[in-house]
Amino acid sequence: MTTQTLSRAELLKQLRTTHAESVKRAQELLKEQKHMQQELCAFFREKPRTVPEAAQATGIPADKVLWFVAAMKKYGIVAEAGMCGDYPLYKKVEEN
Amino acid sequence: MDDLHMDALVIGGGIAGMQSALDLGDQGFQVALVERDPSIGGRMITLSKVFPTLDCCSCITTPKMSAVAHHPNIHLYTYCEIQSVQEHGAGFDVSILQKPRYVDISKCTGCRECEYECPITVPSPFDRNLGAYRAIRVPFSTAVPQKAVLDPEYCLWCGKCEQKCPVEAIDFSQQPETFTIEADSIIMATGFDLTPVSTKKEYGAGKLHNVIDPLMMERFLAPTGPYGRVLRPGDGKEPGSIAYVQCAGSRDETLGITYCSRVCCMYAIKQAMLLNGALPMADITIYYMDIRTFGKGYEQFYQNAKAMGVNFVRGKVASIREDADQNPILKVEMTDTGEIVEQTFDLVVLSQGIVPASHPTVSLPLGSDGFISVPAPDSAPCVTGRPGIFVTGTAAGPMDIVDSIVSASAAAAEASAYIRENGSRLEVEKEALYA
Ligand SMILES: Cc1cc2nc3c(=O)[nH]c(=O)nc-3n(C[C@H](O)[C@H](O)[C@H](O)COP(=O)(O)OP(=O)(O)OC[C@H]3O[C@@H](n4cnc5c(N)ncnc54)[C@H](O)[C@@H]3O)c2cc1C
Repeated sequence: MTTQTLSRAELLKQLRTTHAESVKRAQELLKEQKHMQQELCAFFREKPRTVPEAAQATGIPADKVLWFVAAMKKYGIVAEAGMCGDYPLYKKVEEN
Repeated sequence: MDDLHMDALVIGGGIAGMQSALDLGDQGFQVALVERDPSIGGRMITLSKVFPTLDCCSCITTPKMSAVAHHPNIHLYTYCEIQSVQEHGAGFDVSILQKPRYVDISKCTGCRECEYECPITVPSPFDRNLGAYRAIRVPFSTAVPQKAVLDPEYCLWCGKCEQKCPVEAIDFSQQPETFTIEADSIIMATGFDLTPVSTKKEYGAGKLHNVIDPLMMERFLAPTGPYGRVLRPGDGKEPGSIAYVQCAGSRDETLGITYCSRVCCMYAIKQAMLLNGALPMADITIYYMDIRTFGKGYEQFYQNAKAMGVNFVRGKVASIREDADQNPILKVEMTDTGEIVEQTFDLVVLSQGIVPASHPTVSLPLGSDGFISVPAPDSAPCVTGRPGIFVTGTAAGPMDIVDSIVSASAAAAEASAYIRENGSRLEVEKEALYA
């Protein structure tokens, strides 16, 4: 069991070394995404908001906000909550 | 992986490749279908509905994908690259690289637990990068095979997916593997890409957020699309006015693409009709040079769109820029009057044409348009310049789904005749059986 766990850890370490460049890029991306998710979730938790409102409040470009909102919607983190004029509203889905 | 012998090898698992494989498989031939993506389905599985019937595209494509996967005579190789093709008697030795999925597909059940656990979100090419999935994922909901694949470009190698997988299918030890298929014949079904607009500076060179390509609109109109509705990608607004720019990349000397791509008029009309249903209040305008409705029922389809209120305006769009709110502004030369007008829209779709997708390492003569050349297009439209190699679908030139399917069956018939003529293993076996 220990040998297996160790060899698995070693294998992952080896893969991280082999893919050092892409891992670095992915780590930066993950950091950015965590930050973005925190900011957007806090904003959508207050009350349902549109993408331009979220963009204005967070300073993140609107197209990037929309992309991330689409991703969060897909994975059940935010949901649509009606419309405000021509824009859908999004709210944070609260976990039970 | 063992080296294998097949009667036919089909390169490309779009609608054309799948149809050729099914036709040959049904005749009792052993067929290898090699696809470079992790799933078969090609472009067709990404479309919303099909002209001129407006049938659901997924409802037509998914059963074919499933039939291919379950056919006893079809051997499916996804996520593979053709490395070389060498002549071997009347047949070919094809060297193939199996890229690692880092997932044991014999164990994976497609439950997507790994995907939900993966911490990193990445753009999904299935949704033209406007939607997202995770570094490890099942490529899309109807993917065949319904198996996960890990993208090493985005993976952190954190091991979370492995811990979460209920069937221990994650396999970090996988390596690229090369194997050889000895095939009596080959069918090229490598499909198409959209004409590039990055060099088309007057249309924004692909940099304007609310000027999109037609495959993006297909995804917006599909029930599984990235937003679940039609929104413009710049800021999530539901568009109230949408323009189509026809011949954006076809019949265009400046791009070196002088031919008509055949499907753009029809898909623009189809999308306009679907938009009419999805956004009943929206104004939809199609700027065209001339409308080409070549197929059965297509002219009626066009007339129906006009009757529904879609605006058809004869004019050449000279340029597109955007205002401070990222609304695209079209400068149009009206063909009939010579007048120049400017019009602002919420969203613009460039009706880009069709160019050949990248070709695998099969040396074949190409036509001046870049598609695989057929020396006798009038009498043998699927026969290439190299004996034993046939071509089908949009690898041969722009065509719609109906024509792709017809050409796929034609290519299968040509391959079948070639295999029989050259004394395939199957013939020998049959002779032995009935002796
Ligand atoms: C926006 C749009 C809308 C359309 N709507 C309609 C419609 O409503 N009705 C209609 O009739 N037609 C429509 N069409 C046309 C239709 O998409 C094509 O006719 C059809 O998809 C062509 O299928 P294909 O198999 O030739 O190519 P593809 O679908 O491109 O399939 C090719 C396959 O080969 C694979 N491949 C490529 N290179 C390699 C390689 N080197 N090794 C292994 N595999 C490889 C690809 O990954 C892909 O899976 C539309 C086209 C567009 C652009």
